[in-house]
Amino acid sequence: MSAITLTDIRKSYPGGAQVLHGVSMDIQHGEFIVIVGPSGCGKSTLLRLLAGLDPCEQGELVIDGKRANDMPPQDRDIGMIFQNYALYPHMTVLENIAFGLELRKVPKAERLARARAVADTLQLTPYLDRKPGALSGGQRQRVAMGRAMARECSTFLMDEPLSNLDNALRVAMRTEIKDLHRQLGATIIYVTHDQTEALSLADRVAVMKDGHLQQFDTPDVIYDRPANRFVAGFLGAPAMNFVPADCINGWAGPHNVDVGFRPEALTLHRAPVSGPSIAARVALTEMTGATFIVHCESEAGRLSAVVARGDGLPEDGEDIWLSLSPSQALCFDAITGDRLDHFNTAQRQAGAPCAVAPA
Amino acid sequence: MKPENPLLACLALAAGLLFLSPVLYSVWMSFQTTDAYYTGTIDFTLGNYEMAIGQYNFARYLLNSVIVSGLVTVIGLAVATCAAFAFARYTFGGSNLLFGAVVATLMIPSHITLIPNYLTLAKAGLLDTYAGLVLPAISNGFAAFFLRQYIRGIPRALDEAAYMDGASPLKVLRRVIIPLSKPAILSMGLYIFISEWNNYIWPLVAIGKEDLYTLQIGLARLYRVNPGEDIINWPLVMAASTITILPVIVGFVLVERHLIRGMMMGAVK
Repeated sequence: MSAITLTDIRKSYPGGAQVLHGVSMDIQHGEFIVIVGPSGCGKSTLLRLLAGLDPCEQGELVIDGKRANDMPPQDRDIGMIFQNYALYPHMTVLENIAFGLELRKVPKAERLARARAVADTLQLTPYLDRKPGALSGGQRQRVAMGRAMARECSTFLMDEPLSNLDNALRVAMRTEIKDLHRQLGATIIYVTHDQTEALSLADRVAVMKDGHLQQFDTPDVIYDRPANRFVAGFLGAPAMNFVPADCINGWAGPHNVDVGFRPEALTLHRAPVSGPSIAARVALTEMTGATFIVHCESEAGRLSAVVARGDGLPEDGEDIWLSLSPSQALCFDAITGDRLDHFNTAQRQAGAPCAVAPA
Repeated sequence: MKPENPLLACLALAAGLLFLSPVLYSVWMSFQTTDAYYTGTIDFTLGNYEMAIGQYNFARYLLNSVIVSGLVTVIGLAVATCAAFAFARYTFGGSNLLFGAVVATLMIPSHITLIPNYLTLAKAGLLDTYAGLVLPAISNGFAAFFLRQYIRGIPRALDEAAYMDGASPLKVLRRVIIPLSKPAILSMGLYIFISEWNNYIWPLVAIGKEDLYTLQIGLARLYRVNPGEDIINWPLVMAASTITILPVIVGFVLVERHLIRGMMMGAVK
């Protein structure tokens, strides 16, 4: 039996536009699900419906086999970690962690023991008597997690829990969350707008846009076989390049399609090359650490390519040729943006060349 | 501590003394005998306090004032806090209209409700009772408005976290909202207590039995020239006044810090 099943969930606020347009998902026990999408796509609304903080009027929500549309939050066996942590500022760390157990009438000795054990797991023992105001951002984040963990819920909801942390701490906490998921074995539904978090944490990623679920699959599939142009462009940094097929000389495939290819799939050349290539002029080069991102202007628009350090970087303004492997290119319908799966398969098998006219 | 601006500090000191001098003078006067007061000499005595408490029953009035003001404060705060929580956190049909009606009550002078309240309590048989003094004062529109504004400033995520932890709405109010609203609640409590402590008109209308007189009624009686006397006993009046204001000052000192914090609320972001 699935842990959580959402069927055709719709949501609109009184006097406002519709936020969710029929979202359906089937989440298994112990899965780490990441819901990702740009601001306003409805991901937090979906999480609030799952938590029971907002009423779920249209569609059906089933938790552990029971219809949960009208179930109050406290009966859902769900813990939630809020974006701003929402720690009770008048309570100590220990009281914050034990509060949920107290409300469930767990005997004092037992709840304190459990709260201390959770605090120990999260390395919060030295701070048990402190109030949230005297903790750092990372410590507060841990307390928020501890509060949910102490209740030993079967499902945890996390609403952008790392968004208030600095980059170094965010990376460290990301690893901790992944470790905790392995230890607890609980179902985690995690909302973020950060695609790196989504790809690195998730067993499956749900990509949302404008209240529609665009794709719900494993990170590999989402990255390699995105359902449409939005998913392809949203996940991956730098974003995927899109070139209209009409701009490609000698294009053997269908017209009115957009060809997409990841920046790391491009290879830089200082002279024209045979096979699929794009003539472009270097506009800007950015160092990201181990690699450089080369931003180029071409007839098809701005393109990005990722090159390793020490590969003989071109100068700004230099004319270059970008070659790409057809097997790494994806075709999208120019009007609907949907990926043209039948063509992509054929193209991969045939190794069809594609070339873009120079700028 | 060195004042930042000596001129301002001197002005503040002068203003403080100006406001304090009548109080200090009345306390000084309360320890003088009547003869000394009228002859301009100094004759220290505790007799005025003995007379106020013993002969004029001020101990009883003090108890009545404490009971009435205390009950009005506690029940009034409970009612106002619940109303404020509901208005701050729940939207229901007509909630804005209802809140508007609560705010509108602030524009009605209390004297207008005097006769309707009197008739209502007379019909209910509650005149000359503590309930008759307390009941009309427990619904306080200003307190509901003030606390609602404060509660709206508390992040809603805290309520939601408590609901997720398994709290009922009443638990959220008791365990989250009330502790976090303590400065505002204490400020409002002191405000209600002082207002009720100084209330003169309603006890005068609602109470006829001397046993239920509050301090304000008892104090007013002292201003009358007693039969056989041709002067007002001002030292006695001042002793009674000191008894009347002392609990308020003690209360103020106890919650002063919270009162100031509460009043700062909303003034700055």
